[in-house]
Amino acid sequence: MLRRPTLAAAALLAAGALLLSGCTGNPEPEPTATEITPDPNASVDIRLVLEPGNLDIRETAGAALDQILIDNIYQGLVARTPEQDIVPSLASDYEVSPDGLTYTFTLREGVLFHDGEELTPDDVVWSLEQVRDTETFRDSARLAKVDSITADGQTITLTLSEPDSTLLWNLTGRAGLILEEGDKTDRKTDANGTGPFTLESWKQGDSITFARNEDYWGDKPQVAEVVFSYLPDNQAALTGALAGEFDALTGFDANLTEQIEANGDFAVSLGASTDKGTLAFNSTKAPLDDPRVRQAIRQAIDKESIVTALGAGQTQYGPIPELDPGYEDLSDVAPYDPEAARALLAEAGAENLSLTLTLYSGYGTTVSQILVSNLNDVGITLKVDAVEFPTWLNDVYINQDYDLSFVLHTEARDFENWANPDYYFTYDNPEVQRLYAESVAATDEATAADLLAQAARIVSEDHAADWLYNGASVVAVSTDIAGLPTVNVNERLSVAEVVKSAE
Amino acid sequence: MIRYALTRLALLLLGLFVASALIFLTLRVLPGDVAQLIAGVNATPEQLAAIRERLGLDQPLLAQYAAWLGGIMTGDLGSSQLTGTPVIDELLQKAEVTIPLGLMALTIALLVALPFGVLSAVRRGRPDGTALSVGAQTLAAVPVVWAGMMLVIVFAVWLGWLPAQGFPRDGWDEPGAALRALLLPAITIGVIEGAMLMRFVRSATLQAVGQDYVRTAAAKGLTRTQALLRHGLPNVGLSIITVLGLQVAGIIVGAVVIEQLFGLPGIGRMLVEDVGNRDLPKVQGELLALTGFVLIVGFVVDLAHRVMDPRQREAE
Repeated sequence: MLRRPTLAAAALLAAGALLLSGCTGNPEPEPTATEITPDPNASVDIRLVLEPGNLDIRETAGAALDQILIDNIYQGLVARTPEQDIVPSLASDYEVSPDGLTYTFTLREGVLFHDGEELTPDDVVWSLEQVRDTETFRDSARLAKVDSITADGQTITLTLSEPDSTLLWNLTGRAGLILEEGDKTDRKTDANGTGPFTLESWKQGDSITFARNEDYWGDKPQVAEVVFSYLPDNQAALTGALAGEFDALTGFDANLTEQIEANGDFAVSLGASTDKGTLAFNSTKAPLDDPRVRQAIRQAIDKESIVTALGAGQTQYGPIPELDPGYEDLSDVAPYDPEAARALLAEAGAENLSLTLTLYSGYGTTVSQILVSNLNDVGITLKVDAVEFPTWLNDVYINQDYDLSFVLHTEARDFENWANPDYYFTYDNPEVQRLYAESVAATDEATAADLLAQAARIVSEDHAADWLYNGASVVAVSTDIAGLPTVNVNERLSVAEVVKSAE
Repeated sequence: MIRYALTRLALLLLGLFVASALIFLTLRVLPGDVAQLIAGVNATPEQLAAIRERLGLDQPLLAQYAAWLGGIMTGDLGSSQLTGTPVIDELLQKAEVTIPLGLMALTIALLVALPFGVLSAVRRGRPDGTALSVGAQTLAAVPVVWAGMMLVIVFAVWLGWLPAQGFPRDGWDEPGAALRALLLPAITIGVIEGAMLMRFVRSATLQAVGQDYVRTAAAKGLTRTQALLRHGLPNVGLSIITVLGLQVAGIIVGAVVIEQLFGLPGIGRMLVEDVGNRDLPKVQGELLALTGFVLIVGFVVDLAHRVMDPRQREAE
């Protein structure tokens, strides 16, 4: 039985905070909430990289929406911590039946939406049913196994047609967000949730401002407002920070650590993340349909040098990153060995290959330069085609018209794409699909994770793709600031506990 | 004069119509669409088709163009497919940054170009004149991005006098802060555009110096500088106005680059983001508005030329 009362959640959070302070790149201890005197009227300015196209959390894809809107503005029955643990949120408590078919949540009382309306059990039933039944909503399919959603008093019951070990996790994401029934808010430009912040304003092309929700059901934020400033250029972000215009920079370049830490006002934290630098192979066409060619490419690439060049992150040799269940060290599958790579290519009769790498131009050139040089060493000429993101979506993702593709996949627990033969990975292995289905159907976490690990090993052994690195969340934080998460902040950036020094 | 103005206006409208067709078609060549972006990397083909239908992207191109053109006729530039916000609202909001930025840059360009251009012409052949001339050539060749970064490092990071990036959230409700935010970007564009303009001023002045009327004026007792100021400058002014009309387009291009560098929420930055989002109705509305602006400036310059130059009026 999975049962997690709130106290355990608090303990987990505390443990997470300890973990976090251990992750910082600066040897000096960071100021904590107890050391600085919080300024309740503070405005905290955080630099982010990618601005959402619109704010419609139901219909519009993009990690940029999840990153700021979930947890801060919108909430679900359950939430996830930066360390990827599932904790109660709008539900004060929850229970899963031993057969994995019944999920029972106790809904908190006295929760208000930002427009002042009270959250009712009917809102919960309506929200979840609407997601499940509206096919154009992102993540609609994640509730496909939920047969019925009922409310009895404050008790919400989800009955499943078959067990789904990913359901609780999915409820911490978009699929589980609780909105107000009959609300007329235009979600594209406005928001009405239950979270600790309200959407104050969105200046498109510039910034999004959140204000403290004075009627929040939980601990109210200790800052008056948080401004998310969108600034893609790292150099501009650096100069802005040095001129005192930002309190924190996310998505920072670890190679600029020395410059930003120089005057002692900032410290760079390297947090773990589920960012997977994925080099996809189009295995539907020659020569990449030959596993020896794919293996040769993997063994030709020096992952350590990529991590060194990026200045952050770690190596990852399989589809599952260390933060996710099912992780295991797969470095033995295709270790760096140019000699072996050349031999494999010769064996496959694929010498003097010429391949094209299609990637989004926003990723910069560090990784592609290393790939060109590494592959050149084993006799593969790599042409780099850096394109706009919509072009990548169209050519690679939709039309699967590519040789090699590089994407930083940020989403946590996204193994399902390896079990989907239609996905742009072009990977189709029935054994992997079976193991994944069994993992989803498992009723305990350990079994589910074990099955994922088995499937992940096969994916790596098939050389379905290469994993160039597991990125780090590089966050530069002002010494005036505490309580900002530093783990996996490309996915989620909860600012509920941020404090700013009064001095 | 009236006939000239009417002919010129008809030309302007024709130009706008051709521009609208070109803008519409060129944007359709871009791979990818906004529906794919909304759908993201986990959508099924059915979901994608549903989004396309909702946005009207499944309509034939000609129908889409006709709908857009019809809207423009009634004063509707269209609206964003992502946020539903009317293009005109967005343009007006971003113009609060870009128009003052352009005007400041233009003023700075003139402040640089006029005195130094005339001076370098008058002092031609002497060390200071040559130095000015070489300086202008060098400055005109400097990339905007590099110049901007140098200015930021000196005036924002080292000296701390001006902000390194951004625009006050309250905009022009904080006039001081807004002006300070635009100063470095305006200097960056203004000095470089000014250096280019300075070469025109120099050559126009040189030409004027050699003209008979200046010589005659000098012969009638004016000093060379007096002759140049009284009789040469009006002629120089005419060619400068023509070049300035072209310069406006240069400043708009400069604004696209500089708004990225300084994180300014202006039209240039919006345009780049909208192209990246494939929000085509918004992009085409913005581009048409910008094209219209440049064409209208050209129109006004041509008319001004007519009014100021008696020779052209008499030729009619």
